Amino acid sequence: MGQRKRPGARGSLTSATPGRIALPARKSAKHNVCMVSDFFYPNMGGVESHIYQLSQCLIEKGHKVIVVTHAYGNRKGIRYLSSGLKVYYLPLQVMYNQSTVTTCFHSLPLLRCIFVRERITVVHAHSSFSAMAHDSLFHAKAMGLNTVFTDHSLFGFADVSSVLTNKLLTISLCDTNHIICVSYTSKENTVLRAALDPEIVSVIPNAVDPGDFTPDPSKRDDGKITIVVVSRLVYRKGIDLLGGIIPELCLKYPDLHFLIGGEGPKRIVLEEVREKYQLHDRVRLLGALEHKDVRNVLVQGHIFLNTSLTEAFCMAIVEGASCGLQVVSTRVGGIPEVLPEDLITLCEPTVGSLCEGLELVIGRQRAGTAPPPAAVHSRVRTLYTWRNVAERTEKVYDRVATAAVLPLDQRLRRLRARCGPVAGSIFALMAVLDFLFLLLLRWLVPDSLIDVAVDATGPNGLWTQTWKG
Amino acid sequence: MVLKIFFPQCCNRADSGLLVGRWVPGFDSVVVLAVIHYPFIPGQVKKYLSEMQSAIQLELTVLGSWSMPKDGQEGMDSFLKDLSTIFPQGRWLQLSRELGKRGFACQVIGRDAAVPPRGQPKEGGDDEKEKVIFIHYDQRKVMLSHLHPAHGQEPAAEGVSELRLVFQTVAQSQPLFFLDKYDDGPIKLTHWQSEGREASILVELIKQASVPMCLVLTWLLSLWTQLRSIRVLNMWPVRFVSSKLSTCVQLSHRTEHLQTISSPRRAQQHADFMRKANIFVSFLVDIALGLLLISWLYRENRIGRLANTLVPVADVSVHTLPPALSKKPVCLCVLYSARDIVLHVAKELQELLQWLMGAPAGLKMNRALDQVLGRFFLYHIHLWISYIHLLSPFIEMILWYVGLSACLGLTFALSVVSDIVALLTFHIYCFYVYGARIYCLKIYGLSSLWRLFRGKKWNVLRQRVDSCSYDLDQLFIGTLLFTILLFLLPTTALYYLVFTLLRLGVVLLQGFIHLMIDIINSFPLFAGGLRLFRPYRLAEGVKFKVLCEEPGMSLHLMMEINPLKLSTAVQQYRIPTYSCYPKDSWAALCKKLFVGDLIYPWTPLHKGSKED
Amino acid sequence: MSEEKFTDINGKPISLECRSHSSFCREFVVSAPKVSLRAVMVCTCAVWLSAYAAFFVTKNTAVLSSAIVTTLVGMMVHIHLIKIDHERLLIVGSLGVQVSSCFASGRESATFIEMSSIKDIVINEAIHMQRVIYYLCILLKEPSDPNGVSGVVPLFQSSKPRLNCLVKIYKSCQEILGQC
Repeated sequence: MGQRKRPGARGSLTSATPGRIALPARKSAKHNVCMVSDFFYPNMGGVESHIYQLSQCLIEKGHKVIVVTHAYGNRKGIRYLSSGLKVYYLPLQVMYNQSTVTTCFHSLPLLRCIFVRERITVVHAHSSFSAMAHDSLFHAKAMGLNTVFTDHSLFGFADVSSVLTNKLLTISLCDTNHIICVSYTSKENTVLRAALDPEIVSVIPNAVDPGDFTPDPSKRDDGKITIVVVSRLVYRKGIDLLGGIIPELCLKYPDLHFLIGGEGPKRIVLEEVREKYQLHDRVRLLGALEHKDVRNVLVQGHIFLNTSLTEAFCMAIVEGASCGLQVVSTRVGGIPEVLPEDLITLCEPTVGSLCEGLELVIGRQRAGTAPPPAAVHSRVRTLYTWRNVAERTEKVYDRVATAAVLPLDQRLRRLRARCGPVAGSIFALMAVLDFLFLLLLRWLVPDSLIDVAVDATGPNGLWTQTWKG
Repeated sequence: MVLKIFFPQCCNRADSGLLVGRWVPGFDSVVVLAVIHYPFIPGQVKKYLSEMQSAIQLELTVLGSWSMPKDGQEGMDSFLKDLSTIFPQGRWLQLSRELGKRGFACQVIGRDAAVPPRGQPKEGGDDEKEKVIFIHYDQRKVMLSHLHPAHGQEPAAEGVSELRLVFQTVAQSQPLFFLDKYDDGPIKLTHWQSEGREASILVELIKQASVPMCLVLTWLLSLWTQLRSIRVLNMWPVRFVSSKLSTCVQLSHRTEHLQTISSPRRAQQHADFMRKANIFVSFLVDIALGLLLISWLYRENRIGRLANTLVPVADVSVHTLPPALSKKPVCLCVLYSARDIVLHVAKELQELLQWLMGAPAGLKMNRALDQVLGRFFLYHIHLWISYIHLLSPFIEMILWYVGLSACLGLTFALSVVSDIVALLTFHIYCFYVYGARIYCLKIYGLSSLWRLFRGKKWNVLRQRVDSCSYDLDQLFIGTLLFTILLFLLPTTALYYLVFTLLRLGVVLLQGFIHLMIDIINSFPLFAGGLRLFRPYRLAEGVKFKVLCEEPGMSLHLMMEINPLKLSTAVQQYRIPTYSCYPKDSWAALCKKLFVGDLIYPWTPLHKGSKED
Repeated sequence: MSEEKFTDINGKPISLECRSHSSFCREFVVSAPKVSLRAVMVCTCAVWLSAYAAFFVTKNTAVLSSAIVTTLVGMMVHIHLIKIDHERLLIVGSLGVQVSSCFASGRESATFIEMSSIKDIVINEAIHMQRVIYYLCILLKEPSDPNGVSGVVPLFQSSKPRLNCLVKIYKSCQEILGQC
C-alpha cells in the first residue's frame, strides 16, 4: 500500500507544490497550447472530459488551444468542436485499448506539421497510457517546444509490466518541463516511478461541472434504498468485489436495490450473480450510459458505491456527492483526498469491509440522520470547478513559458544520467535519430512552405472576434 | 438573375424570322428549338404551333424575333417590335446579328415595360438590365443523347435539374424536326435535319420481320416453360439437383433472357432498351463463339493432335483403351482419354493414401486411426473405380451428345464442362466431406471440453459463455476425452488438410469456369460499342467552352456532351446474372476452412431458398 | 486577365491565370511547371544505362529493346495519364461550375456541376501524405435536405496551390456566387 496517503507527507508536499507559488504579477501572455492524447471524444472517460473541459476554459481565458488525437473509425481529419476548439484526428494505427502504435518516429512528420502551422508554444500531453502523448513529448523536445505532461493514473512498482512502463515514463518525463498530477497520491506515485524532482510536479485535481450534477430527491423512491454504481465494468473498477457484495446485502436487506450503469467485459459477472440469486427485480443493469444520462441515473439512488481497486482521482464519487448521494468507496489511491471525511465512508477493498461500510450508511439512511442532498450539493459545488483548474493550469503554462528548453547535448547528458547506462544510451540514440529525422524533414519541407493555420481561438481567433463584433 | 438562352448551332446562319422554343419552368432559361422564316401568316404559325404542342406534349411558344442582317434590308427594328404585339408574351427576346461581328446582340423586352430599353443591354451593365448568356448546342447530339445521373444516384433523388430539363425538351420535340427544309408548306423552319436515310430500307425490312420472329419465339418459349413446369420435374430431388447443375441454371438464365428479348412490347425507357440490346448482342456473340468452338472441335487434325497429347498422361490404364483407336471418330478419343484421366486421378489418389497411411513427410501419426481412415478411403476409391468401369460404355455416348450443346452458345459448353468436372471429381468431394465432418466434430468437442477445463460452459439459451461448477467425475471424464481428442487431432487434421487442398483445386477450377461464363453473360457489349462509336449517345454530363469574347457582347458558351467513362458504362449496363461463385471474403473463407465448415463453389443454400 | 506567380505546397512555382469573361463568368487556370527536359533525360539515361549493364551480364539483346519499349511506353503513359499540365475552374454565375484538368498530352477531362446542386465553395483543411494542407472544394447540396452536404468535390487536386493562391480564387468565386 505504497499509494496510501500519509497525512504528514501531505503537508510537506503542499508547501513544495510549485503551482501554488505566487508568480510575478505581470499579465500573463497568451499561449498556443496543443493538447495531445490518444483519448478524446468520441471515446468516453475521465481523461477525455478533462481535456475537453480544460480546453474550453482555456479558450475562454483567451488562449489558443488545439487537440490532437488519433482517428476514431470514420472520424478522421480536422474537426471543430464548440467555441472553436480544433481537433486533429490523425490517421495513426490503433494497437490496443485505443492506444496507438509507437515507433517513436512515424508520427513526427504530422506532429511537426501541426506544431509549425499552428505556431504552438506549449505541448501538453495527457495520460501515461497514451503512446501518442509520449511521442509528442519526444518530438516537441526535439523541436525545442515547452512541454507539460498530465498523469491521470496510478501504477504499481512490483510486476514486470509496471517496471517497464515506469522505465519508459522515466525516460519520457526526465526532460519534460513540468508535470501535473491529479492528486497528491498520484504525485507521490509519479515522482517515485519516474524519479523526478518534486519541484516540477504540480497537483491540479480534476473537476466536475456542478451545474450538470444537481440533486433531485423527488426522483428517488424513499420506500426502498437504492445503491447506484456508475463505472466501466472492468477489473480495475473492482467489479468482482461488487459481485460479492450484491448477494450478501440483498439477503440481509429485502428493500435494497442496485442500479448499475456502465458496460464492459465484467458485465457477465454481474449477470451471473443476478441469475444465481434471482435478483432480476432488484439489480438493474443499465448498460453503457451517455454522459448526459449519468445525472438522471444518479439522482434515483440514495447511496453511491465505488469499488475501484486503483484510482488516481475519482471523478465519479464527486459526481455522486454532487447529486446529494451518500458515498461509499474503497480507500485506494487518491480517493481519500477527494472528499471531506464526513461526506464519504471509506472501506478497505474487501467484500467484508465494504459490506460493513454499506450497512453503516444504510443504517444512517434508515434512521434519517444522513445529511440532506441539497446541503451535500452546496458543499461539493465549490470544491472542484473547471475554472479553478484552468487558472492553475494557466499558471503552470506561464511558468513553463519562461523556462528554457534543454538543447540536445544537455538532453542527452540528462538521459544518460537519469535513466541508467543502457536505457539512457538507447534513448539518447533515439533522440539523436529523431533530431536527424527532423532535420531531414526541415530540408524536404522547410517551415516556410507550411501554411500558417487560420486561428479559430486565441488572441487572433476568428471565432472569438466574431463574438466580440 | 442571368438569362440563359440555349441556342442551336444550326440556326446560327438562319434567315431572319421568329424564334420558336420553350421557357424552362422553374429556371430563368429558355431553349430555342427552331426559327420560322419570313414571310409567314401569324394565324398559320399559331395553328402550326398548337398542332405541334399536342403532338409532343410540351409547351411551345414563340419566344421572340431573330434578325440576320443582309444587304439591302434596313429598318427592320420597328417591325420586330411590332411583332411582339402579335404574339403576346411575358418576355419578348429580340436577337440580332450584326455583319462584322461574330456574337449576337440580345434585347429583352418585358411585356409591361411601356418603353422598351434602348441600345445594347451589355453597354449599361447596370442592375436593372438583365444579363444574358448564349449557350450554343448541337441539336442532333443533344436530342440523341441520354443524360446519366451523376455519381450513380437514381434520378429521383437528383431533384429538378436545369440541364436535364433542357435535354428532355430537345429530345421530346423530335417531331418538330421532321419537317424538311425542302418541303413545301405554309411556313419554313430552320432546325437540325437528318441527312436522309439511305440504309433505311434494310432497317425497315428487319423491323417488319422482327415482329413475327418475336411471336414465334414467344410461342416456342411458352412451350418450353410449360415443359419445365411439369409436376415431375418440380419434385424435390430433381429440383435440388437442377439447382446445383450449372447447365440447368444457365438454361433457365438464357430462357429468361430470351423472354425479355422476345416480348412484343416496345421498350419505353432508355434503360429497358439498353438492356434488351445488350442481352441480344451478348446472346449473338455467345452463339457465335459456341459455333466457332464446335467448328474447331470437329476439325480432325487438330483434335487428333490434342488426343495424342492427352493419351500419355493417362498411361496408367492405357491397356483399357480399345485397339481401334485411330478408326473411331476423333472426338471420341478425347472422351476416352478423359475417362483415362479420371482413372489416372483415382490411381494417384490411391498412391497418396498409401503415403498418408505410412509416415507422411516424416510425421508420426496415430497408427490405428491412420490405418482405419486410410482403409476407409481406399475402399471408397475402389468403389469409385469400379463404378467408372461400369459406366464407361455409356459415358462416351452421353458425353458425345452433350458436347453438341456448344451450338447453344459458348456459355453452355462451359457450363457442361463445369458439370462434368463436378461429376468426375465426386470422390474428391466425398473425401473432403468425410474429412471435414470428422475434423469439425473434433474441433467442436475440443472447444467445448476446453470450456469445461476452465469451469465455463456455453449457455445455449443466452448465446454466451457462463461459469459453471462441475463435479469431479465430470471433470475427470472431460479431461480424459480432451486428451484423447487432442492427441488424435493431428491425424485427422492431416487427412483434412490434404483433401481440402484437393477440393480447393477443384473449386478453383470450377470457379474459374463460372467466372468466364459470368463475364460472357453479363458484359454489356452493346453499351460498350455505343460508347466507342457514338460517344455522345451516353452522356455523363456536359462541358462548356467559352466561345468569343468581343467586348460589349454577351457571353457565348459552347455546350458539348461529356461522354460516359467506359468503365462506368460497363458498370452501369452490366446485365444482372445469377452469381455462381461464393461471395465470402477471404477471411471468412479461411475461418470456415479452419473450423471445418463445408465450402461450395455455388452460393450457400439459404440464398437459393430465399428465391424459392 | 492577369497572371501571377505562386507556389504549390512543395515549393514548386505554379502560375495562376484569372480570366474574366464577363461580370459573372470567370475562369481560373492553375498551370504546373512543364515536364523538364532534365528529368526526362535523367529517367531515360537511368533506364538505358541499367539496360546496358544488364546487357553486359546477360549478352541478350532483348534487354535493350525492352528498355527502349519501356521508356517509350512509360513516357506515353506519363504524359497521357499522369502528368497534368493545367487545371481549369470555370465558374458561370447562375449556371454552374466546370472543373477540368488538362493532361500533358492534351487530353482533357471535365465535369460540370450545376449551380442548383452546389451549396458553397469553401477552403478546407485535410491531412494529406503526412502533411496538413488547405484545399479548395465545392460542397454539394443534399437534394432532400437543403442544409445537408451530400458530397465534397476537391479542386486543384494535382497542383495543390498554397493558401494565398486559394484565398485569391476563393474570394473571386464568392463574388460570383454572391451575385446570384
